[in-house]
Amino acid sequence: MDFLNPVINGFAVVLEPSNLLYCLIGVVIGMLIGVLPGLGPAATIAILLPLTYNVEPVTAIIMLAGIFYGAQYGGTITSVLLRLPGEASSVVTVFDGYQMAKQGKAGTALGLASIGSFIGGTASIIGLTFLAPVVASFALDFGPAEYSALALLGILLVATISNGAKTKALIAAAVGLLLATVGRDIFTGESRFTFGNLELADGIDFVPIAMGIFGLGEILYNLEERHRAAKAPSKVTNVWPSRTDLKQASGAIARGSVLGFFLGILPGGGATIASMASYAMEKKRAKQPERFGKGAPEGVAGPETANNAAATSSFIPLLTLGIPANATMALMFGALLIQGVTPGPQLVEQDPELFWGVVNSMYIGNILLLIMSLPLVGIFVKILRVRAAILAPVTALITLLGAYTINNSMFDVTLVVVFGIVGYLMKKFGFEPGPLVLAFVLGSLLESSLRRSLLVFGGDPTGFFTRPISATLLIVFVLVAVLPGIRSMLAKGTTAPSEQPITTKIKEKV
Amino acid sequence: MMHFPSRRTVIGAASAVTLLALTACGNVAGGSSDSSKYPNGPISLTVGQAAGGSTDLIARAISEGASKTLGAPMPVVNKPGANGALATKEVAGKPADGQNLLLVTASLITITPLAVTADEAVNIDDLDIIAGLSQDDYVLVASKASGFNSIKDLTGAGRNITFGTTGVGTGSQLAQTVLFKQAGVKGTDVPFDSGKPALTAVLGNQVEVSTIQLGEAMPQIKAGKVAPLLVFSEERNSFLPDVPTAKESGYDVPVAQYRAVAAPKGTPKDVKDKLLAAIQETFKSDSYKEFNKKNMLTPKEISGEEVVTQWKDYAAKYKALVEKYDISLSGTK
Repeated sequence: MDFLNPVINGFAVVLEPSNLLYCLIGVVIGMLIGVLPGLGPAATIAILLPLTYNVEPVTAIIMLAGIFYGAQYGGTITSVLLRLPGEASSVVTVFDGYQMAKQGKAGTALGLASIGSFIGGTASIIGLTFLAPVVASFALDFGPAEYSALALLGILLVATISNGAKTKALIAAAVGLLLATVGRDIFTGESRFTFGNLELADGIDFVPIAMGIFGLGEILYNLEERHRAAKAPSKVTNVWPSRTDLKQASGAIARGSVLGFFLGILPGGGATIASMASYAMEKKRAKQPERFGKGAPEGVAGPETANNAAATSSFIPLLTLGIPANATMALMFGALLIQGVTPGPQLVEQDPELFWGVVNSMYIGNILLLIMSLPLVGIFVKILRVRAAILAPVTALITLLGAYTINNSMFDVTLVVVFGIVGYLMKKFGFEPGPLVLAFVLGSLLESSLRRSLLVFGGDPTGFFTRPISATLLIVFVLVAVLPGIRSMLAKGTTAPSEQPITTKIKEKV
Repeated sequence: MMHFPSRRTVIGAASAVTLLALTACGNVAGGSSDSSKYPNGPISLTVGQAAGGSTDLIARAISEGASKTLGAPMPVVNKPGANGALATKEVAGKPADGQNLLLVTASLITITPLAVTADEAVNIDDLDIIAGLSQDDYVLVASKASGFNSIKDLTGAGRNITFGTTGVGTGSQLAQTVLFKQAGVKGTDVPFDSGKPALTAVLGNQVEVSTIQLGEAMPQIKAGKVAPLLVFSEERNSFLPDVPTAKESGYDVPVAQYRAVAAPKGTPKDVKDKLLAAIQETFKSDSYKEFNKKNMLTPKEISGEEVVTQWKDYAAKYKALVEKYDISLSGTK
C-alpha cells in the first residue's frame, strides 16, 4: 500500500490547528451565505472567494472545501424550512423535507440530511482517493491533443446536459467562448478585443465574471421574488433523528451514496440528476410509496446523500483531468488557479502534498459540517427571518468589496457590476449561467491546446486520430453529439419520460 | 422583542464578514514626501508573474529579508499579465516615494519588445533600478524518446524538430529560435504558458526539446527523465558543470534571466539608499544564500547602474541577432 503514504502525509497537513480553524470558518461562513435564499454553492463560493486570497495555498483550499460543504448544506436548510431550494440539486428535498417540517419534524429532516451528506460525501472521497492515482498514471500521455479533445467534450456535455433549453445553453456557451478570446494572443503577442486597454491585455479574469454572474446576478434576481414562500419556524428542535428514523433511512443513505458517486463523475450537473434519481429509486422501492410527498424520511435522506456524494465525486474530473464538470467546479477551478495550483493529471505526481491536502480537506470539511450543522441550525433559522431588503444590500456590498480586494482594482468592480447585470438578464430570460462560465473556462484551454496540437502535427488535423486517448475522446464527442438525435428518431411516438414533471418543477423554482 | 436580538446577531455577523474582507485587502496608505520617515507603512513589492513561479519566490525571499531591516511589512503583490508589462506600467505610474516597488525581469526589457508593438513594450528608463539580484540560467533539455543526448545529436538529426518554449517573447523562445537558425536546423516553435507545462511536454514527448529555467528542470534532469543538452549562459553553470554552454558549442546566443528590484522613476536618493542597504543586508543572510542555492540561482548582486547598462547591451545584441537571422518572435514568419 505504498501509494497510501502521501495520503497519510496529507492528513498531517490538514490536521494542523490553523488549517482546522480555517476549515471551521469556511464551513460556518459557507452556511451563513448559503442559507440566504437563492444563493447556491456556486454563488456562495463566488462571493466568498476573496477571503482565501491572502492565505497559504493548502490552507486556502481547505477553507474553500469548508465553504463548499457549508454552502451545499445551507441550500438544504432553506429547502426544508422555507420550501426554497438553494439550488437545483436540493429541489427534491423540498417534497418530503418541507412536509416533515410542517409536522414539527424539521430538526429530524435536517439531521438526516446532514448525516446522509456526511456518509455520501465520505464514500465519494474514498472513491476519489483510489481512483486519482490510476488516472495520474496516464498523466504524461496527456498532451495538447488530448486536452483539446477533452475540452471539446467538456463544452459539449456542459451545453447539452444542463437543465434549461438546449439552444439557450448553446448560445450562452458561445458567448463564454467569445469572452475567452479577449486578451493578448499567447501565440503571437497580438492584442485581441482589448480596445487599447492594458487592463484587458491579460484577458478577462474569471473571478469577476463568476462573482458578477453568480453572485450579484443571483442577488438581483432574487429581489424580484417579493413573495416569501413560507415563514421560517422560530425554533428547530430534536435535531438528532430518532433510532426508528435512522433505521428507516439507512438503506436510502447507502443507495444514495453509490448512485451519487457514479452520477457525479459525469459532466453537467451530476448532483441534480443524482438527487432526482435517488428520490425516484426510493419511491419505487418503498412498500408504501404513498408516504412520499407527505414527509417520508427516506425522501430526504436519499436525495441529500446522493447530491452530496455526486457533488464530491464531481471533484474527480476536476482534480484528475483539470476539467470542471459543473459551474460549482468551474469556480473551484478558478479558486485553485488563483492559488497557483493547476488541477490536472500532473497534480498528483508533481505536488502530492497539495493534492492530498485538497482531498483530505474534504474529509475534514464533511466532519466539521456534521459537527457544526446540527447545533447551528437554530442560528441560521434566525437569519432567514431577516428581511430581504436588509440582506440583499449587505450581500451585494460584500460581493463588491471582495471584487475590489482581488487586485485593489476598480476595473474589477466595474466588471462585476457589468456581469451582474448580464447574469440577472440571463436568469430573467431563461438562460443558464453555467454553460457561459464553463465555456469561458474551457474556451482558453481549447484554443491554446488546439493551436499547440496543430503546431506539433505540422498543421495536419488527422493527427488527433493517431493518438489513442485523443481518438477515443473524439469518438465519444461524436457519439454524445449525435446520440440525442438518433434516440429521438427511435423513440418517436413513445410517451415522454416519467421524470418530466420534476424537471419542469426545477425550471420554475431555480 | 424576539426580533431584536436575532436581527442584531445577523447584522453583527454580516459586518464581521465585511471586516474580514476589509482586512484581507491590505490597502497601502498614501505616503508623504518626507523621506526621513521612510518607510511610511507597508511597502508593496509587485511581481508581474503568478504566485509560485521563480520570480515570485525571489520576491518573497527579498521581502522576508528586507522587511526585517526596514521595519515595515513588505507584502508581495502578484499582478501577472503580458510577461510583467502590466505590473511594470502600474508601478511606474505610482508616486515615487519608495512605498511601491517592483521585481522586474530582464526579459521584459531585453526580449519582449521584440515580440510586441512599441506602445506595449516597457522602457527601463521609466524605472529607477535599486539593485540587481541573481541570474537564472536556461537549459535546453531533450525528451528520452527523442534520443538526443548531446547538441550534436540534435543538429545531426536531419529532420524538423518541435521545440517547446515558455511563451512568446521569452528568453526560452529567443534562445531556441536563434540557436536553431545558427545551427541550420529546421524547427517548429510551440509556445506554452510557462516553464512547467513546457517541461511536462518534454517529459511526455509531446515536443522533443524545450528550453526552461534550470531550477525547474533540475529535478527531472537528476531523475534522468530529460537530457540536458546545453546551457545558454556565457559561462558554465556551477550547478550543472558537465553541460557545455552554447558558446562552447559554437553558437553566439547568450541568454539568461536576470532579476532586479525597481522603484518608480524619480525616487529620492536617500530612500533608494535605505532600500539598497536593506536588500544588501538580505544578500548577506544565510537563509537567502540557501534560497539561491536551493533554486539554482547564481547571485548577480550588482548595482542599479550596472543593471541598466548590461540590460541595454543585451537588448541591442538580441535586436541585432533577430535582424541578422530574420527571426520574428511573434510566430508570423
